Amino acid sequence: MTDDLAIAVDSLSLGYGGGPVLDGLSLDIPRGQITVLAGPNGCGKSSLLRAIRRLHKPSAGKVLIETTDVASLSEKHLARQIGLLSQSPSAPGDMTVEELVRLGRYPHQSLLRPWSREDSRALNAAMAGTGVTHLRERPIGSLSGGQLQRVWIAMVLAQETDIICLDEPVNHLDMAHQIDCLELVRQLNRDFGRTVVLVLHDLNLAARYADQLVFLNEGKLAASGPPEALMTEALIAAIFDVEATIIIDPVHQRPLCIPLRTTAHSVG
Amino acid sequence: MDAPLSDIAPTAVTRAGTASLVPIYALLVATLIAAMLVSATVGYRIYDLGQLWDALFHFDGTEAATVLTNLRLPRAVIAPLVGAALGIAGVQVQTLSRNRIASPDTLGLNAGASLAVVVASSVFGIGSLAGLSLTAALGALVTSLVVFAIAAGAGGLSPLRIVLIGVTIAGLGQSFVQIILTTNEAQLQNLLFWLAGSFVDRPMTLVINCGPFVLVGAVIAFLLARPLDALQADDSTATSLGVPVGLVRIGCFFSVALLTGAAVAMAGPVSFVGLVVPHAARRLVGLRHDRQIIAAALVGAVYTTLADVAARFVIFPLEAPVGAVTAVVGGIVLVLLLRRRIA
Repeated sequence: MTDDLAIAVDSLSLGYGGGPVLDGLSLDIPRGQITVLAGPNGCGKSSLLRAIRRLHKPSAGKVLIETTDVASLSEKHLARQIGLLSQSPSAPGDMTVEELVRLGRYPHQSLLRPWSREDSRALNAAMAGTGVTHLRERPIGSLSGGQLQRVWIAMVLAQETDIICLDEPVNHLDMAHQIDCLELVRQLNRDFGRTVVLVLHDLNLAARYADQLVFLNEGKLAASGPPEALMTEALIAAIFDVEATIIIDPVHQRPLCIPLRTTAHSVG
Repeated sequence: MDAPLSDIAPTAVTRAGTASLVPIYALLVATLIAAMLVSATVGYRIYDLGQLWDALFHFDGTEAATVLTNLRLPRAVIAPLVGAALGIAGVQVQTLSRNRIASPDTLGLNAGASLAVVVASSVFGIGSLAGLSLTAALGALVTSLVVFAIAAGAGGLSPLRIVLIGVTIAGLGQSFVQIILTTNEAQLQNLLFWLAGSFVDRPMTLVINCGPFVLVGAVIAFLLARPLDALQADDSTATSLGVPVGLVRIGCFFSVALLTGAAVAMAGPVSFVGLVVPHAARRLVGLRHDRQIIAAALVGAVYTTLADVAARFVIFPLEAPVGAVTAVVGGIVLVLLLRRRIA
């Protein structure tokens, strides 16, 4: 594996007892870039993200970070390598922003190494980097959806991992907050050099923010590469069962998908 | 409104941290000492601090000295110990179950202790306080094991499953207690007072026997403070942070069983303490568990000590069971909490 790979997924299979969710999937995730996983419902994109973080145990294959098998790492060691924000995280509404962001420092502490100056620095940097410092005393139950998502991202940022995984981070946000959240993610990638792996539902957002776009279908890798190469009418039709026209977004010069109609064999 | 990206705040100055909490802890400790002194001196007869001092350090065999050392002092020590144990147990149960109206009662521990005592008393004829105390502690421990085993066996220690199984076991235990007591009226008189929880006529040896269990339970809780902080978030988040979720739950269960078992052995089932005290603790010091646990221990100690004093006066000159007092006060507090939707 070359130096500029952050994660290598090697013939990964995963099942919950029914059919396979991931079926012998291999994928390289480049270091320092934004990789977006996309695909139709049930294609296994969230499962792949969670398997990379070892929240699911694969039935076959392995995930390598920096040439190390994640299965061989201790809980805390792994938590210092990969941060994951799951799809609908929850915490008590009366928890303050600072109390929540502090949790990100958990893997850096131990009984013999309690809260340190370094932890305070990371906590403050994470809150400043996500623009939530002014909210630090606020209970999270009093925040707007967009603010709350920034606070959760701050918690993952405080973990100070080289790799950050976000599972559908803009799912419940309105348009302004979706853009706001993804701009923040891009900034974390550009300014802090973090490798980011995102699961996104919206193909146009995926094309706009991805350095590498990955299409999954039925637990297998369908295609991966730069958005310009993947956003083709033929691939969209094959993977999403949608007849679409692709144009180039005149502002961002990224491909933009305009869905026309579902194809005949697609069933809800 | 969210801060726009161009307007990101500069790194804030680190706050003093724990400094602001010292007055709160100091006030609680002072209140606790005062409550213990009141508990030792005020009751059917009222003594002064000089008599208490003499009874402690210059015991002269007078009636005052005898009442103080044999009756009053044990209560003034056992009540706060029980309150502290139930407060710490309550914090852990509420975090473990992610449910702010859960408590050791919810896990069925008090019902299990009651059932054990009723069975021991009516079937095996155990009548001594030491025997009943040991039985109660065993009942609480066995119940926690049963709840734990069913929850773990049913496919994982999910918070909801723990509460559902605990409530079911509690209901079962209470039903059996009712059945045994209705068929055995003579027992009813003897056990009714115990079943409501009380600090009356408890010997100091209980402190020596049960104190270490409270201490071990409290130390385990304190060592688990940081993983408990993370477990306030959902399981996926806690696991992603590197928390060994299953192990932490097992440790917590063990600590709760020790604390509740010891409390029930000393005083019988004192209800609502484990439910209400964590709310007060969070109000005072926030949601970090190192702080919550210390505050809950102190608030719980003050609460049961004052409840024990109040129990001497609500139906003066008779004594009310302290469990009834904590339940009345706790019930009112709970209703207020629910009205304000923070429970």
